[in-house]
Amino acid sequence: MLEPVALAAPARRASAKLVVEGLSKRFGAGRDAVAALQPIDLAIATGDFLAIVGPSGCGKSTLLNLIAGFETPTTGRALLDRRPIAGPGPERGVVFQQGALFTWMSVEENVAFGPRALGRSASEAREIAARYVELVGLGGFGRRYPYELSGGMQQRVGIARALANEPEVLLMDEPFAALDQQTRELLQEEIRAIWRRTGKTILWITHSIEEALFLATHVVVMTARPGRIKAAFACGFSREADPLIATTAPFAEAKRAIVALLRQESLEAQRQEASVSSADR
Amino acid sequence: MTDAADAITEDLPPARRTARRDRWLGLASFAAMLGLWLALTGSGLWPPLVQPAFLPSPVTVAKTFVKLANTGYQGHTLAHHFLVSLMRFGVAFVFCVLFGVPVGLLMGMHSGVRAALDPPIETTRPIPKLALLPLFIIWFGIGELAKTIVIITALFPLISISAMQAVRSVSVRKVQAAQSLGASRATIFRRVLLPASLPGIFTGMRVSVGIGVTMLVGAEMVATSDGIAWMALTAADFVQTDVVLVGVLIMAALGYGLDQLFRALERRVVHWAGRD
Repeated sequence: MLEPVALAAPARRASAKLVVEGLSKRFGAGRDAVAALQPIDLAIATGDFLAIVGPSGCGKSTLLNLIAGFETPTTGRALLDRRPIAGPGPERGVVFQQGALFTWMSVEENVAFGPRALGRSASEAREIAARYVELVGLGGFGRRYPYELSGGMQQRVGIARALANEPEVLLMDEPFAALDQQTRELLQEEIRAIWRRTGKTILWITHSIEEALFLATHVVVMTARPGRIKAAFACGFSREADPLIATTAPFAEAKRAIVALLRQESLEAQRQEASVSSADR
Repeated sequence: MTDAADAITEDLPPARRTARRDRWLGLASFAAMLGLWLALTGSGLWPPLVQPAFLPSPVTVAKTFVKLANTGYQGHTLAHHFLVSLMRFGVAFVFCVLFGVPVGLLMGMHSGVRAALDPPIETTRPIPKLALLPLFIIWFGIGELAKTIVIITALFPLISISAMQAVRSVSVRKVQAAQSLGASRATIFRRVLLPASLPGIFTGMRVSVGIGVTMLVGAEMVATSDGIAWMALTAADFVQTDVVLVGVLIMAALGYGLDQLFRALERRVVHWAGRD
């Protein structure tokens, strides 16, 4: 169920939706410069669900920010349909971990924001919003404000808002990290259903190996900072119908393999942190 | 909503109970102050412990208020004194909101504007603005302009800097979300930066209501013959302590009333504030 794969192989790149070429990022300049990300190569095909796992601080969110166009790369580039990405754009929907909803707008206004920004009329945007609010299971909550909703419901709003523009690619930055286990598992099943139905291309950042295995067609393991790709696998669990797939032996075996890889990197990340804080003193 | 806490309190959820208790405590402390005042001055029930010339009783002050309301003070009705003060504050306040908020927002969004405007605002902030009043009177005469300007000099930095800080502290995540939804710069300003800054702008306005009422006292200290603060100051010269107290209480009521008004507005307009 877990097979090593060369993600940037020429054959994959030729037909890819999203290509990342030698993309790297350093923050700051001169002696204070910090390397956040070593050059990364990736090719993601239409309909791929690619999950990136890595120790905290490894630069996986930086990678997402670069592809979203929030940051400019130090070297390399990212291409969507062979066109270089130069900034944020509505063809790449982004779902954040938390705190990105427009708190002064109702649920429906949040979801209608994208269609409105793209020039739809108010009534069209409202219709689209109502449809996506329904899709993420928030029917009847359209008039509520985000602060009236639970954390899980707020994430549903974030997902509906990103989907409402019908982006070709969804970039998701640990969207369920702040949720409790039960809510998270429920939402994972739903995002899987949405992905299967819509065939979106998804880039998913997570620190949960189980989440990655459960959802993704491809899992990328990153090293400690400055991050680079340590290993990449094709992974078949997300195509299984069994909602309890995570409790089966093959799943446990796959998880074991990735945990082993990540363990070294997490230890390295911890060692880095310790040396930074002792240098501070 | 915690189920456990609900189960313990049978009728009311705990938050409402606390709110109710706090309201009573507020009223009680107010009543205690009034009681102390009554006790000190006797109010006709026993001999005053303090000379009435120093501290008239609440009853005397109430009577004086009624008398002033009927006959006015020094040629003007009480309503005139009140409205003139309200207008001096109001004109200055509206001016500061109309111009201070946009200036602050610009400072928050453009580092160039900030670099140009921050030093003059920051360096003049510690100057007690009342010290400038004589200068303003020389420049602008003894009319309303000098008084309004002195209040403006006190409120403008407050309001503009709070708007600047409000817009600068808008979460970058929200702006990025808007960008990736295809919003133009104008849309981001109108539908993200501006509404997200409103709570901070409101805070600045409420603080400046308090300061503005205080500034009235200074502004009406010289070169004037009306206004509530002027009435209190003039009465003090004649040791009309009861009139002084009426003026002070009216100003307290004005400040409190305006603050309550802004709190109510705040609850309606930015009901989502601080609930991210």
